[in-house]
Amino acid sequence: MMKKPIIEVKDVCVKYSENTILENITFDVYEGEILVIVGGSGCGKSVLLKQITGLEMPTSGDVKIHGENLTNANDEIKRKIQKKFGILFQSSGLFASMTLAENIALLLESFTDLTEDEISDIIDIKLSAVGLDGYRNYLPSEISGGMKKRAALARALALDPDILFFDEPSSGLDPVTAASLDNLIKNLNESLGMTMVVVSHDLASIGNIAHRVILLDKEAKGIIATGTAEEMKRNRENEKVYNFFNRIAN
Amino acid sequence: MLISNKHLSLIKDEILSSKSQRAGTYFNISFSEREIVLTFAEPITLDNSEYYGIDALIKLINDKIEILTCDFSNIKHYDSYLILLINNLKELSKSKRLAINLIGVTPKMAKFIELFGKEQSAEINNIISTGFWENYFSHIGQLTLTGLTDVKLFIEFLGEIISKFFSLFIHPGKMRWKEFPFHLTKSGVNAVPIVFLIVFLIGMISGYQGAMQLRQVGADIYIADLIGISITRELAPLMTAILVAGRSGSAFAAELGTMKVSDEIDALKSMGFDHIHFLILPRIIAVMFAMPFLVMLANFAGILGGMLAALSTLELTMVGYLNEMQTALSFGDVFSGLIKSIVFGFLVSSIGCFRGLQVHGGAESVGKYTTAAVVTGVLTIIVADAIFTLIFQSLGI
Repeated sequence: MMKKPIIEVKDVCVKYSENTILENITFDVYEGEILVIVGGSGCGKSVLLKQITGLEMPTSGDVKIHGENLTNANDEIKRKIQKKFGILFQSSGLFASMTLAENIALLLESFTDLTEDEISDIIDIKLSAVGLDGYRNYLPSEISGGMKKRAALARALALDPDILFFDEPSSGLDPVTAASLDNLIKNLNESLGMTMVVVSHDLASIGNIAHRVILLDKEAKGIIATGTAEEMKRNRENEKVYNFFNRIAN
Repeated sequence: MLISNKHLSLIKDEILSSKSQRAGTYFNISFSEREIVLTFAEPITLDNSEYYGIDALIKLINDKIEILTCDFSNIKHYDSYLILLINNLKELSKSKRLAINLIGVTPKMAKFIELFGKEQSAEINNIISTGFWENYFSHIGQLTLTGLTDVKLFIEFLGEIISKFFSLFIHPGKMRWKEFPFHLTKSGVNAVPIVFLIVFLIGMISGYQGAMQLRQVGADIYIADLIGISITRELAPLMTAILVAGRSGSAFAAELGTMKVSDEIDALKSMGFDHIHFLILPRIIAVMFAMPFLVMLANFAGILGGMLAALSTLELTMVGYLNEMQTALSFGDVFSGLIKSIVFGFLVSSIGCFRGLQVHGGAESVGKYTTAAVVTGVLTIIVADAIFTLIFQSLGI
């Protein structure tokens, strides 16, 4: 039986002033899938992620999450849809003036009726899930880059979303820390069945986590190939795809 | 072509820098009828650049010369100056319509030339070739366009703030009130010493200046009128607003800019929070709330400063000064200053926040927009003050 798409991106075009960044982007993301959006620098990966998550509105086209259209939704509905997913930003996006516990508590205090004790317990559970037990009272500036990413992941998991978005999760991390973050992503996907959309150009990470990959190209301003990481690596028909996945300079 | 050895030697001396005793060893020049051959002998590096001037080489080239040959076979050491030298020689050969031959180029050197010696793109050449006036007017045009775009965006931003501010009367819980006391302390309480000191000194300076003039016409007592009205109507609100623009406006721009650069604002939006309710309104309301109190304090400080100046230079008593102040000052004088202060507070804080949200890219942008927040803030306050003066005058306040 065909799985139902949780995220539907249809004919999305993005223009900044007269500059076209993306054209006619169409793809679906299915329940429980890890989809990795890859491409060279400046091809519009992060721009696309902003359109999918409603942080920016596409010039044309639609983005539906759980069947609800995010592109023409008013602020109220948009925020309601946004509460259903979590995002891990490239530079973590943790609030610098708050401790890790306060970062996570912010969502729980604002959007649930949990008591203070219950919130405190949930904070411990989430921090423990990402391997940060005992760090609840640390400020983001007091922990390493890899720990910041983990803490941001704990915050993204605060409301138990069924979709997680990642913008370059392994950027700025050493290979070992990046690999442990990959494992964490895989474990969350396998144990909770979360749907994940990851923007990355880290080939090792892509090979580790991706169920399916879409490759964006700067010149084509869109998707030039879709498939598994292995299929992409063996794709000799398209030189750009082959070069990208085999690290060959053009 | 015949060139005497003496003539050749003279030209060589001119080509090679006279600064160095070793100049003659940097390259050799040999001639045939149709060809000039430059044989380089010493490292072609930035350190040696002064010994490779080729301007005078032009004098050696007559109509019969067709080929310029550069021999690099003795060169073991080189850096990016090699690229510069080759480019200069190529330009020279182009202008004199000579064929240029580079000989003795090792594969390693060829790779280096290939890597660093790429031709400038047409785009860059176009920029360089644009004339001064064209650049000047294009720059003015760009500044005007940026300014107009900023005004448009700021008006949109003000509209959003005002509508969300009024929505608080229906849903007060939307704003993050927890932040309000923090910003009130930072923008209001912490500004007390500097506001007091500056306006006290301004009052004192005005007092001394006014006293000197008034004494000449025997109108000593009117120093109280001068100080009272100028401080309460103009100087206290204006100076307080300028100080708040410098302290809080810049701080808001820097804080929000840094948050934007580190994805914190995007994170906030993605979590379903409204950044205007969460970050902007607590700051703006805190400044608007603090401003009248700061201006009251500034009124006191300015009048006190003026009084000290008056008492020390004129034959006045404190009671006389304060009695005259009471007679001279109307409710409208103080009230107009307080009304202005609330509007100035709104403008300064919203400009600070607006500039902070304009930040994009990296840390450099934070600095740029923080400066812009102060400059725009101060300019806007002064323009607004002029408008207020006209309005109050027409209303007779």
